[in-house]
Amino acid sequence: MASSLSPECTPLKTTYDTCFNAWFEGYLEPAVSKTPAERTAYSKEKADEFEQKCGKVWKDYKACVQNAMKASGLEGALQQARDEHSLAVPPKAESSGH
Amino acid sequence: MKFFSQSFLYDDNWPIVSLAYFLRYPNPYASHVLSCDVISREQTPTGTLLTTRLILKRGNLPRWFPKQFVSRAESWLVEESEVDPYGKIVKCRTRNLDNVKVMRVEELVEFRQTEESKTLQHTEVRITSGFGWGLTKRIETYGITKFKQNIQRSREGVHLILGLIRQSRLQPM
Repeated sequence: MASSLSPECTPLKTTYDTCFNAWFEGYLEPAVSKTPAERTAYSKEKADEFEQKCGKVWKDYKACVQNAMKASGLEGALQQARDEHSLAVPPKAESSGH
Repeated sequence: MKFFSQSFLYDDNWPIVSLAYFLRYPNPYASHVLSCDVISREQTPTGTLLTTRLILKRGNLPRWFPKQFVSRAESWLVEESEVDPYGKIVKCRTRNLDNVKVMRVEELVEFRQTEESKTLQHTEVRITSGFGWGLTKRIETYGITKFKQNIQRSREGVHLILGLIRQSRLQPM
C-alpha cells in the first residue's frame, strides 16, 4: 500500500487499507449475484460489518489525514475541487456512448 | 482541448478487475505515486460505494517548459469513484488540483462487465491548457503523448495486481 500524505498517518492508513480491502473483496463477489430483492438487506448487512470491523480505524485514519491537510493548507484547494462528489450525479454526456 | 479515448477488454470478470483496480497502488509500474489517501468513503442508499482519494504524483516537466511557472514537479490529484456492484460498473474520474492553468487533466475510466463475463475498460481523457504564450498547443500535445505512454504502464500495473489476487485465491486459507 502506498504511503499516506503525512508519514504519521501511514500506520493508520496501512491498517485501514488492509481492513477495507478484505471487506471490499468479500463485498464485491457476493454482491454481483444478489437479486434486486436481496440487495437492500445485503448492502445494510455489509455496511454494518464494515462499521464493526473497520469503523474505528477508519475514523482515526480520516481524522489524522484531515489534520495533516489542514496543517499543509491543502484543505482549501481540495474543498474547492470537490464541493460535491461529482460522480454522485452521473457526468452528463461525457460517459455516454462508446 | 485535446481528447483521447481507448477501450480494453480484460478476460477476467468484473469483481476481480474492479478489486485489482482499487488495489493498484503501489506497484512497480506506478513508482511515481508518492502518496494515496482515502479522504471520504460512503455507501449510498442504492448500494453503491462512493470514494474520494487524494493522490500525490511525481511529474516530469518537459525540458522546454519554463520552470518558473510551476512551483514543483509534483501534482495533487483527486480521484472520485463509484462502484456499483449491482449494475457491475465502476466509474472513476481523476483530475489534477494544482497547476490547472498550465494543464488541466481530466480522466474518466469505466469498467463494465460484458455478456461473456469479461470486463471492458473504457478510458477518456481531456487535456486543456490555459497557458498562452504560444505554448498552449504544445503543452496539450505533450500531455496527450504522455498519457498514451502511461496508459500502457497503468494497465500492466493492474495486470500484475490481478495476477497476485488470482495467486492468493489459489492458496489454502
